[in-house]
Order: sequence, then C-alpha cells, then structure tokens
Amino acid sequence: MSRRHIDIVLRALPAWLVPLAFLGIIELAMRASSIESDGLALPSQTAAALLGLITDGEIFLRTAETIGAIAVGVPIGGTLGLLLGVWLGLSPTAARLASLSIELFRPIPPVAVIPLMMLIYGLGIRMEAAIIAFACFWPMLLLTRDAVLGVEPRLIEVARILGLPRRKQITKIALPAAVPRIFTALRLTLGIALIVAVTTEIAANPIGIGYAIISAGLSLRPEVMYAFLVWLAILGWLLNESLIAMHRRLFGAAYGDAAT
Amino acid sequence: MSNWSLRAGSVLVTLSILLLWQLVTTTGLVQPIFLPSPSSTFANLLRGLTRGDLLALTISTMERMIHGWTLASLGGILLGALIGLSQRARYWLTPTLELLRPLPASTLLPVGIALFGLHPNMLLGIIAFGAIWPVLLPTIHGFSAIDPRLREVAKNLGIGPLAFALKFGLPNALPDVTAGMRLSLTACLIITVVGEMITAQQGLGSTIIMAARSFRSTDLYGGIVLLGAVGAANNALLGLVERALTPWRRARA
Amino acid sequence: MNKTSSRLAPAAEACAQPAIAFDGVRLDFGGKCVVDGLSFTVAPGEFACVVGPSGCGKTTLLRLVTGLLSPTRGEVRRLGVTVDGPSRDVAIVFQDYGRALLPWRTAAGNIALALEAMGVPRLARAERVAALLDKVGLAGHGDKYPAQLSGGMQQRVQIARCLAQGPRVLLMDEPFGALDALTRQALQDEIARLVRDSGATVLFVTHDLDEAIYLGDRVFALQANPGRLAEVIDVGLPRPRDQLRTREHPEFLRLRHVLFDHVQKTH
Repeated sequence: MSRRHIDIVLRALPAWLVPLAFLGIIELAMRASSIESDGLALPSQTAAALLGLITDGEIFLRTAETIGAIAVGVPIGGTLGLLLGVWLGLSPTAARLASLSIELFRPIPPVAVIPLMMLIYGLGIRMEAAIIAFACFWPMLLLTRDAVLGVEPRLIEVARILGLPRRKQITKIALPAAVPRIFTALRLTLGIALIVAVTTEIAANPIGIGYAIISAGLSLRPEVMYAFLVWLAILGWLLNESLIAMHRRLFGAAYGDAAT
Repeated sequence: MSNWSLRAGSVLVTLSILLLWQLVTTTGLVQPIFLPSPSSTFANLLRGLTRGDLLALTISTMERMIHGWTLASLGGILLGALIGLSQRARYWLTPTLELLRPLPASTLLPVGIALFGLHPNMLLGIIAFGAIWPVLLPTIHGFSAIDPRLREVAKNLGIGPLAFALKFGLPNALPDVTAGMRLSLTACLIITVVGEMITAQQGLGSTIIMAARSFRSTDLYGGIVLLGAVGAANNALLGLVERALTPWRRARA
Repeated sequence: MNKTSSRLAPAAEACAQPAIAFDGVRLDFGGKCVVDGLSFTVAPGEFACVVGPSGCGKTTLLRLVTGLLSPTRGEVRRLGVTVDGPSRDVAIVFQDYGRALLPWRTAAGNIALALEAMGVPRLARAERVAALLDKVGLAGHGDKYPAQLSGGMQQRVQIARCLAQGPRVLLMDEPFGALDALTRQALQDEIARLVRDSGATVLFVTHDLDEAIYLGDRVFALQANPGRLAEVIDVGLPRPRDQLRTREHPEFLRLRHVLFDHVQKTH
C-alpha cells in the first residue's frame, strides 16, 4: 500500500463508525425492548455464533463445499467462454455469425437452469458446478470478446507494418494487449460464480454456505444465519479485493495503473 | 462477406444449433427425459400457452419482476440523488454501502422468510431491496461526478439547488441510471425466479422446479424458454428506453 | 501614444464609477500567494485584455471578478459594489467549451438555460434564443447537440448563452485558445462586434499577445510568482479593426515589440 492509499483509508475512518454505531444501536434497542423474534438476533449473539462456527470448523467445511463447486464450474465455463470470446474478438465474421445465437441464448437467467441440472445430475456438487459453468460462460465470452476488440488498433497497425504474419499478430500483439482486461473479466466472472453458487444452494442444493444460511433460518437459529451472512460478505469482499491487488501487481507497471 | 449474407448466416447458425438438438434427440443419443426434442418442447410450450396456465404463470412472474423493479428504481434514484448531491452524505454512508453491497441478493430471501414468513409482499420487498444496488450506486456516481466547470456555470447563473438537481444532476446521471436500471431488471428476474422456487408462490420459477422434481422435462424446457424470452424482452425494452431517454448519447458528429 | 482616434479615452481611471475595480487585492490559495497587490480599474464599455506567463494568476483574476473566489486581502468592486458572489450581471466564457456546455441539451437548450435561470417565461424564450442563435451565426443549428458541432460552433453557443444573460461585464478566459487559426480570427472579429453592440465591459484573458493588442483598448501585462500587475499599455488603434490592415499598422507592430520585450524580461 502506498502513502496515498493509507491517506485515503485514514480519511474514511470516521465514516466506518456509522455501521458500527448502527449495530450498537440495534444491540441496545433489542436488549431494552426485549423483542422476541425468530428472525432477529443480537449482533453480539451473531458474533458469538460466528466465533463458534470458526472454532468448531463448520464454517470452513461449508466454505470448502461452495468453493469446491466454483473450482470445478469456473474452469469449465470460463475456459469455454474465454476461447470462444477470443475467437469472436479476432474474427468479425465469426462474431456476426454467432450474434443471433448469442442474443437468443444469453438472456436465459442462470437460475433457470437450476431445475435442469437438478434433473440431469440430481443434487450435489456436480449439478452446482454445471450451473456455475453455464453462468460463467456468458460473461467470460462477452467480456473477453470486448477485451480483444478493445485492443488499440494502432498496435495492430504497428504489427502489420512490421510485417508480422497473422498468427504472430495475434500471439504477440493482440492477446498480450488484451490480457489485463481478460483478467478483469475473470475477476467479475468469479464474483458472479460466488453469487450463483450461493443462490443454487439456497434454492435447491443442500451443501455449502447458501444451504447453511437457509437451513439456519428455517430451523430458527437466526444468529447462525446472520453469522454465515457476515462470513459470506467478508468472503466476497476478500475475493474481489485480492483479485484487484493481484491485477495491480501483475499489470500495474507494464500496462499503467488501471486496475478497476 | 456482405452485411446481408452475414445476417442470413447468423440465422443459419442458430437453425443448425436447433437442428443438432433435434438430431441428438431423435437418434436417441440423449434420453428425452434429460433433453426432449425441440419440436416436442415447442409444441408443448404452444399448448401450455394457449390452453394451459403457462401464460398466466408468465404474467404473474413478470408482474412480480416489474413491481419489484419499479420499487427498486424509484428507491435507487431518489436515494442515489440525495446521497450523490451531498458530499457529506456520501462521506458518511459510503463505508456502510460498501459493506452491504457484496452480499448476493438471493441471501436476503432466507432473512426475509425468517423475519416476515412466506408473505407475498415479503418476496416483493426482497426483490426490490436486492435489485436496488445496480441503480443506487451508478445514480450516486452520476449525481456526484458533475464536471466542476458545469458547477461553475450553474453558480454563475445563480441556479438554485433544486433546479441544479433537475437540470444538471439528473441528466448527468441518466446514462448511468438507465444502464443501472437495465442490470436491476435482470437482477429482479433472477431474484423473482429464485424467490418463487423457494416460497412456491405461483410463477415460472416454482413451475420449472416442480417440473424437474416430477421429471416433466418438456414442461421444464418450456419454462426455461419462456424465462429466456422474458429476459430478451427486458433487454430489448430497456434498450429502447435508454435510447429515448438519452438522445444526446447517439448524437456524435 | 493616443494619436489615433479610439472609441474610448484610455484614461479610464478618470471615470466616476469604474465597471471593475481592484483595490490592493491579494489571494492566498492552498498556503500559496497567487496574486498580490493588484490595483486597477476598468471603465464601463472598455475592452481590457490580460496577458502574462502561465501561473501569473490570469484565470484567478477572472474568478475574483465573478465572485467564485474571494480575495484574502483588499477588495474587488463591480460597478461600485463590493463583489460577494456570482451575479447574472457578469457572464463568463470558459476556454474549455466542451466542458462548459450541457452535453444533454441542444444548442438552443444551452442558451435557454441562462434565460431559465433569469426566470424568463417559456413563451418568450424561444424567440430570444432564435435571435441569439442568429446573432452568433448559428441560425439553423439550434437543435443540434454540442457533440454534433465543431469547436468554433460550440464556443459560439457558449458566447450566445453569456449574451443571453444581458451582462454588463463579460469575462473571457482564453476563449479562442483551443481553436484553429482561421476560426479564431473569425471569432475575434465577431466578439468585437457583439461587444460593441451590447456595450458590455470586457475583461479578456489570453496568452496570445497579438490577440490582446488586436482586440483591446488596453492591455494589462501580469508577471508571475506571485501574480501582479507589471505594465498597462494603451492601444490607440482605430476601430473597427481589420485582420490585415490593423495587424500591419505601424502602431500595432510597435505595441507588439513593447509587449514582447516586456514578456521576455519578466519570464
């Protein structure tokens, strides 16, 4: 972290008291009014539940299930999307030929394939991975295509003036130039994968963080439900921030600092 | 290749995908229980729409989606304008918004069920709340990122805060807002479908999950096709709205 | 120096109520002194140009007149009244027309903005906008968006919006700096004509010495670190001025030398 980053963090510090104060008020108000609800939990109870889940390891078990499905689904859907995206980005003719099919199939909401994969694979990690693969295929395809299309045309002109053959134009100029944006596509796709995984678990699949959230809610243990929610928010934030940091480290010097 | 032949080719590609689907099913390569043929899927779909209750189910899903979207858009624009126009509000609320944002909207469903039970309005509220983020954040940005030069122009002309919000802030935010509303509508469709799946409220979401549980695969594929059609209609409609609301974006010399 | 007949007596200080008066003005900004010890007056109807190296506070000077900035010490008066904020009597034309126009409004809509701010009723607006468009040579372009207009045309729109205010003081911040040479010359002549018709007092900032002499009744030369007044030159060239004849006038060449030597010295 540079000086500038530290400065930015320090300046925003007082504002971070707002959510803390909010939690404090909830805690006090609930204690004072002694509301009893199956859907509410004291922030302190939630924190205790989170600690308990961490010490007995359950939270890591559930997280491993969700991450496992993502680890299978993203490489499958992401690679297919990436390859097709590079191809469509490089060949305008292919892009035009595929356009109608993409327009027709792309709008299918990923959650609509939950029952389909349930039918084909039953419940479990395979079905979830297949849904994640479907959900990741589209953003990876479109973002990669745009990344390749977004390569500065001057660079291609330079390659042509240098007399590079078409294959080398692609491997030496177009793809390296598109890499940072493809990495951004991967970051966004991973974010989508996490959302789709948890959603699948909430809607149907009895594994992972999503199922932990809904089963805690239905079995009237709201503090566990909120604990998993907090954990999920931390997980999503960590995933995004670490990928942004990685992007900066990988491409910061060579490509200019345009990580976000 | 000419424009025309490319368009024809693109239709051809789509047709050959459907043909492949038909071939795979009629040759018995895939069992129809997993993948019914396109002809039986579309025949079943047509029957469901004209004689069955598929049309009513689609409409009830769309209603839920549109109502949630309207609430999310109105809330997102109003809240976003207030936060975006006030530097102080932005400073104090940004961390709180950053904390809430990464939570997938579907996780709100268990919370909503635990708090309010399986009430229809609960589902609507969750849809609206979950889909507010794609509108709220771009709106805040659009209202706050007004060129300092335009602020000077406004100050120099003695334009008041309300007129500034309407004549400078709103149009400045509009491209971001409409793009956000498009994402929000997609989010609404997703949350609506998941919500129907969990709460079994009448709609396409509950229909397709019931179809899968009872291995009625033609009904399942019909439902997926309809959801895809709703998604496509959303995109087309929002594209029109976007172009109508921001004509200056097309006006590049 | 004032041998030829000029429109105004350069002895503007003699006027009872100057349009703009700086009185020992100092401005500190970000812990740094930007301008110091500024004292001068501009007479009503006078066309005053300000030149100087970058960082001498030319733009700051204009912001002090608009009231967008307030002096740390001293006083700025407009028409005898101390400046305490923006007023519609004062219009400002910015150099970066691309950022000063509302991209979502047509040329006509941008001009109407000034009329809306002044509370001109809707029905009266259209006619006045049409007249203003005509005045700046944009008749027939009213329903185009800024992105569809050339740089020179966009700057005309901005000028028209400023004229719509019916300003008594017109401030211009390097208005033609971003334009090509031909467009710049055309607009120079036009602004001279428009200002003469409106009778407004003008404070015109430029880095182009020729432009300053060509347009101005007087030229204020500033020097930097901190910005202060170095010299005031009376321009006695006859009006209306002409791109060829005025620029070949011996007096023009003499003033150009004086000003050039001065800028060389203080740079």
